[in-house]
Amino acid sequence: MALLEIRNLHVSVEGTEVLKGVDLTLDAGKVHAIMGPNGGGKSTLAKVLVGDEAYEITEGEVLYNGEDILELPPEERARMGIFLGFQYPVEIPGVSNTYFLKAAVNAIRKHHGQDEMDAMDFLQLVKERAKRVKLDESLLQRPVNDGFSGGEKKRNEIFHMSVLEPKLCILDETDSGLDIDALRIVSDGVNAMRSEERGFLVITHYQRLLDYIVPDVVHVFVDGRIVKTGDKELAKQLEVEGYAAFEAAAA
Amino acid sequence: MEAVAQKTSAYFDEFGSRQQAGGQWCADLQRQGIEAFERQGFPGPREEAWRKTNLKPVTDTHFRLAEGQGAAPQGLVARLNEVGDCYRLTFVDGRFVADLSDLAGLPNGLTVTPFSEYKAQAPDRLVAALGSRASVDSHPFVALNTAFFVDGAYVHVARSARIEKPVAITHIITADANGQAVYPRLVVEAEEDAEVRIIERFIGDNETTTLVCPVSELSAAAASILDYSRLQQDGSNTINIGTVNLASQRNTSLRGAFVADGAKLARLDLIADLEGEGGEIDCNGIYLTDERQFSDFHTWFNHRVPNCYSRQRFKGILQGRSETVFDGLVKVFEGAQKTDAVQENRNLVLGKRAFAHSNPRLEIFADDVKCTHGSTVGELDEEALFYLRTRGISVESATGMLTLAFAGEIVDMFRVPAVRDHVRDVLMHRLGVADINVGAIL
Ligand SMILES: Nc1ncnc2c1ncn2[C@@H]1O[C@H](COP(=O)(O)OP(=O)(O)OP(=O)(O)O)[C@@H](O)[C@H]1O
Ligand SMILES: [Mg+2]
Repeated sequence: MALLEIRNLHVSVEGTEVLKGVDLTLDAGKVHAIMGPNGGGKSTLAKVLVGDEAYEITEGEVLYNGEDILELPPEERARMGIFLGFQYPVEIPGVSNTYFLKAAVNAIRKHHGQDEMDAMDFLQLVKERAKRVKLDESLLQRPVNDGFSGGEKKRNEIFHMSVLEPKLCILDETDSGLDIDALRIVSDGVNAMRSEERGFLVITHYQRLLDYIVPDVVHVFVDGRIVKTGDKELAKQLEVEGYAAFEAAAA
Repeated sequence: MEAVAQKTSAYFDEFGSRQQAGGQWCADLQRQGIEAFERQGFPGPREEAWRKTNLKPVTDTHFRLAEGQGAAPQGLVARLNEVGDCYRLTFVDGRFVADLSDLAGLPNGLTVTPFSEYKAQAPDRLVAALGSRASVDSHPFVALNTAFFVDGAYVHVARSARIEKPVAITHIITADANGQAVYPRLVVEAEEDAEVRIIERFIGDNETTTLVCPVSELSAAAASILDYSRLQQDGSNTINIGTVNLASQRNTSLRGAFVADGAKLARLDLIADLEGEGGEIDCNGIYLTDERQFSDFHTWFNHRVPNCYSRQRFKGILQGRSETVFDGLVKVFEGAQKTDAVQENRNLVLGKRAFAHSNPRLEIFADDVKCTHGSTVGELDEEALFYLRTRGISVESATGMLTLAFAGEIVDMFRVPAVRDHVRDVLMHRLGVADINVGAIL
């Protein structure tokens, strides 16, 4: 059974159809990359997968481990192991990064019938994971993303992911705004988490990320659809040729 | 022809027929109170300052002075400990109760006395202070309180005395006061260079409809520090209409922490007078309403002299179908140059049918001043809510976190640690997040 199976997904926002029949199958252990021009609907797909109620699903199914998740609220999906690293992480003044994560970890543990995590163990885990993505420790006590630089926000998303240890990791342009060092650190963070039981859906505009996080499958996403699927060579081809050929085909 | 009897108010008649209650020493003042009330009457709906406050529950009934004194139930007595270790003065249904008070070991320089201790005579300085700030002609409810108070709390801090442990004055309303009125009164005087923390608190039975009408006058002499916390946590059927006067002198630091959480109808008129150069009055407040509660803060901050500093930061959190008013004035008098005044009112409307009125006002008669005001009424940030939920946090917890974060900015400003902790507890209880570990996010 696939980790994630998207079947003929149609989604509208404010009366306009944004996703026009998406099909995608992601097996555990695999990394899929999604590339495509601005406004094609990549972030929409990511947000629909984690349950953003702003979007109206008009047709199709999304199965996670064989279970239809489209009726589930975002928190349920998160507890089942679905994670989205946001393209634009949200600032939350007044809520400390650490305590927010602690509430998240414990909500997830509770869902799996586990006890709350011991405060000391939690602190240790958090520090270790922060180090892994070279997140400055001072950012742990700061309010979530509040006043973080663009790069810090992205790193914070990867940090959250490495603490929460989800099964399906969706990363929406986590590489945008990162310099080459940060890109390497973030990629290392992701690669450290690659495993047989975990799947990644990595949305990006740039081939260079895929030099670090080598994908098993590459999808070209244009105008609400996947118009071509291939291996990592496809990403290289896109880098050279651009999306023009696909955009013409989609129109 | 028969003489037509002049129509007098029920309160006037009650005053005439009642036993002398407040002690001989204040008999004249009480008479002035009822006369002033008779001249003014209750405010009408067309009076600008009262337009949004529905006084019908007050004016439709005659609330007679609570004559007896109910026994405070254990549940309410236990709450006396919620604000930590204090010198404690406790009143039940308006009257002092020695058994619930604790004035052991008062340090030198601190006087804490219930008015009822004074019979024929009271200290001159109390007689002089009482009513000097809250004048009977300025406000009908001040007049009413002045006519009817039967007891009160007098706190005096001598020159250069530094009192660290707070003085808590608690008013408990019991079921025995149902349908009746209670008139709490507080006078606080901090002499030059003194320092003191005062907590005034209102709690009571939830089923009881009582008119609580408190008047508090606090004045801080030059270079003193006065910290005042007012926690209105009355029972849910109570009406609390009160006034607070704060007055600062040269280089005084006067801080106020205001919480309005209880009562079905609550209004506080806060008058702050900056009367000495270099004085500072810094007030932070939070109001929490649910169901059909109504809560109203009216403020008048008067910069009467140059070089003073004032802050008003009030936040509201509205649930259910509740309604709130914040109407605040900063007035800079002629010649009060270099005034630095900030007024902020922010409201978080959680209830779909809740409604927050926010009305900041500036009246400035000097040209070299720094005055700003801000006012917002908004809902929870949907994006933030969604973000938290995508990390596994429930809607309830996420709402609680965001709301606590909103309130935290104010609560953090409260200076008395026990008050700060207590208000956090109140918030968490209110928001139904007491079971999750979000308290520490504040
Ligand atoms: N909440 C929304 N309300 C209105 N329109 C939306 C909303 N979300 C997305 N859209 C629209 O849907 C389309 C797809 O947007 P989306 O953000 O999914 O594209 P994208 O592929 O992620 O683009 P980019 O590469 O620039 O991030 C755009 O036209 C966008 O304006
Ligand atoms: Mg996008």
